[in-house]
Amino acid sequence: MTQDEVMVRRRRPPRTGTIRAGALVRKLVLIALVNGFAMFAMQRELALGETGALVATLAATLAINGVYLSRRVVPLKYLVPGTIFMLLFIVYPVAYTVYISFTNYGTGNLLTKDQAIERLVANSLSTDADGARFAITPLDDGDGTMSLFMIAEDGSLLLGDESGLSPLAGSDITRDGNRVVSVDGRRALNLGQASQRQDELLDLVVPADFGEIRVQTLKQATVAAFGLSYDAASDEIVDISTGTRYRPREGRYTSDTGEVLTPGFRAVVGPDNYNRVWSNSAIRDPFIRVFAWNFAFALLSVALSMALGLGIALTLHRSGLKGVKFYRSLLIIPYAVPSFLSALVWQGMLNRNFGIINRMFHLDINWLLDPWWARFSVVLVNIWLGFPYMFLVCTGALQSIPSDLMEAAQIDGASASQRFRKVTWPLLLITLAPLLIASFAFNFNNFNTVFLLTGGGPPVPGSQTPAGATDILITYTFRLAFEGGRGQDFGFAAAISVMIFFVVATISAISFRRTKAFENLA
Amino acid sequence: MKRNIWKLLAVLASVTLFAAACGDSSSTSTENSDAPTTTAAPATTTTAAAATTTSTTEAPLPTLLIWADDTRAPVIQEFGDQFGADNGVNVEVQQVDFGSIRDQLGVAGPAGEGPDIIIGAHDWLGELATNGVVAPIDISGIADQFLPVAVNAMSYDGVTYGLPYSVENIALIRNVDLVPEPVATFAELEKIALDLKAAGTVDVPLAVQEAPGDPFHNYPMFTAAGGVVFGRNADGSYNPDDLGIDSEGGLAAGRKFSEWAKSGLISGDVNYDVMIESFSTGKAPFAITGPWATGSFADAGINYSVDPFPTVDGGEASPFVGVQGFMVSAFAQNPLLAETFVVDYMGTKDAQVKLYEAGGRPPAHLGAIEVASSDPDIQGFAAAGQNGAAMPAIPEMGAVWSAWTDAYSLIFSGEDSDAALKDAAAQIRDLIAQG
Repeated sequence: MTQDEVMVRRRRPPRTGTIRAGALVRKLVLIALVNGFAMFAMQRELALGETGALVATLAATLAINGVYLSRRVVPLKYLVPGTIFMLLFIVYPVAYTVYISFTNYGTGNLLTKDQAIERLVANSLSTDADGARFAITPLDDGDGTMSLFMIAEDGSLLLGDESGLSPLAGSDITRDGNRVVSVDGRRALNLGQASQRQDELLDLVVPADFGEIRVQTLKQATVAAFGLSYDAASDEIVDISTGTRYRPREGRYTSDTGEVLTPGFRAVVGPDNYNRVWSNSAIRDPFIRVFAWNFAFALLSVALSMALGLGIALTLHRSGLKGVKFYRSLLIIPYAVPSFLSALVWQGMLNRNFGIINRMFHLDINWLLDPWWARFSVVLVNIWLGFPYMFLVCTGALQSIPSDLMEAAQIDGASASQRFRKVTWPLLLITLAPLLIASFAFNFNNFNTVFLLTGGGPPVPGSQTPAGATDILITYTFRLAFEGGRGQDFGFAAAISVMIFFVVATISAISFRRTKAFENLA
Repeated sequence: MKRNIWKLLAVLASVTLFAAACGDSSSTSTENSDAPTTTAAPATTTTAAAATTTSTTEAPLPTLLIWADDTRAPVIQEFGDQFGADNGVNVEVQQVDFGSIRDQLGVAGPAGEGPDIIIGAHDWLGELATNGVVAPIDISGIADQFLPVAVNAMSYDGVTYGLPYSVENIALIRNVDLVPEPVATFAELEKIALDLKAAGTVDVPLAVQEAPGDPFHNYPMFTAAGGVVFGRNADGSYNPDDLGIDSEGGLAAGRKFSEWAKSGLISGDVNYDVMIESFSTGKAPFAITGPWATGSFADAGINYSVDPFPTVDGGEASPFVGVQGFMVSAFAQNPLLAETFVVDYMGTKDAQVKLYEAGGRPPAHLGAIEVASSDPDIQGFAAAGQNGAAMPAIPEMGAVWSAWTDAYSLIFSGEDSDAALKDAAAQIRDLIAQG
């Protein structure tokens, strides 16, 4: 054995052996499970016709298999899971939101174009309220076709099929009690069986001299006619009686005279939603006020809950207090209770006449309906919801500060406040700065607290817009897009969300740079 | 060495197929209506294939999926079971929060995962029909057996989309022990209520949920004092271009609300919980609410009476009437079966009477109304709703509710009622124009 061979052998651990084989099997089983899940997902995607999702799943699965079965790309083995989840849960939703912001998706434009065409034609089937009406039983002819046993309103018995109506005699019908078993040798279907052949029944038209008879329900047929038809060649919808032609325009089938058909369909409308933000006085006018309050709300929430959390953490940190663990557990309660619940409980407690706070302290403060008190209440509740997190983070950060630093400072004669300002605080900030910025970004969009506590109210007297005193951008957007105007406007909401995203991203980026929060990581 | 790799690849392949087969068989068992036939192919070589092949040999019964809220779901399930057993159909009733049925139908329906039938309120129809997620149904054969107001409410833009089942409106509920005689005028009510409050007998003079302002519950008083939400077209439908809340009558009604807020009769602090709590403990002589709340009052042992609304200076109250019924999804998997179930089964007197008996909701079917006439509560609500008008179903109501709520909130905070209503009306017109 040469020296080189020894080196090679040392560098490469033996390939066989029980431990490596076991690990390999575990790996393969895990990959197989991922592949199995992917195959299941791809089947569904194929069945639903989601080509984009199908390609993405296939690409991700191939990437996973390639990375984990290969020996060459070790760093990717660590990066791939995170990357896939980031693409799936962060990049995709953001990209989808941006896409939606360029569409008219919302009330009246919910369906795809094909679905809308189908609905328009199907909805145009109208029956004459005074027209002939028949009680029917669907029949299986035995040769793959269907016909209808029909009883007219005058009691006459008829057999209806594609060729028309023919009279039946009572003797043609075989009954079992009240139930029709067969008619003229054709088997009667029960509702379940008939429903399984609904497509044939829906297509079945029985011609008669007074009009075309169509199946309305599995027990009724009436004279009915379509009012609209779709011309696939020219992509137009045609009114059968007047000949008016409707062409697709911005998500609606529109006639030359401007008449539109509902429902419309989802369509890309370009920057319309963004233009509406600029041109809409309901947004433009209160924007500065809402934005200023939004900024103050986020800043106050972060600063005050941080101050409270840090204060408590310092108090409980090495204070020799009895029952520190008990206090710590107690302080986490607001964090453990779902914020939905807390916000609603606070709403009850802050009620002016019936709330426990005013009653207990014999106050008459209009906590939720006076503009400034409402702002105060929103921040107060947000601090209550936010300080346990800050407390936890600060406690952890404090414990990571080496005690010899503090001792050294003490020996050098630094006072308690000097020790905090010169030693503790700068060291804390290294850990906390990124969290504070993240917390600011979160509170900037803290929909729950505001919406559940005040709903953005109280309203501002004399306001020409529905923006309330405690409305932040996201609650105001919600109200405009989902409670104002006509129903829900996802495209518009997405456009404002994208704009808020840029605002928050800009603020965060500047903050990160100013605080040099990532310096230590670089 | 090479053999090992092949063995491991074989393990990999079979586990993959097994996992795929497991996923596949579970998908066919939950959605047996449209099992994709192509999925059986990769599973044929594995042990789990048996589960999929058995289900394809015998066509599964069609499943009718119905969304209903928690109070009605059990009643409908009972019907469904009977209907299913008689006709070779599975009927599955899924319990969905009533408030979210409308939005969820808009999402699940077009995605192909929605129900065949929903229980819905008539005022959703504007949005549902505009979105094209409900299908027209033909009830003209049985329409004459229902209250006309209910049948009209179930149509939107001249097309019928639902079969009515209950008709609900709010009424004045009176604590008979505190106020033995019905009151005829609002002035009388105000005096009795405020006297009881001054004497310390009650906490809340008139328990009507506001928090911070509730146009629906205030509407009887608003109309009695002369207001109206929208003007009407010639055919009786609401005209969104004719907003009435800042009309002469609307402003007069606003001034009345101002007076009542000042005298302490109505307060923006009362929410649903306070309303229920105060009336159930005898701490409110009057409440304004609907049939959904009287159960709590009865359970609390309160001796109450459901009265028509008193007049305001001679003006008659006209509460909003809400009609609930069955609607067929435009994306139903079994559209014909769904319409058959709704029209031919739920539309019969028998079914409507049973629905009333099980659910206790004021019925819309004339035959069920006859049966219900022995119930004093139902009678009371019907009397209070006699002069009512169906709640507008037009999508524009979205803009109306929020701005109108703000206006009431401002009035209760002591702001000038004329200005509050005018601002609200301006906002609504703006939103409708921009919508």
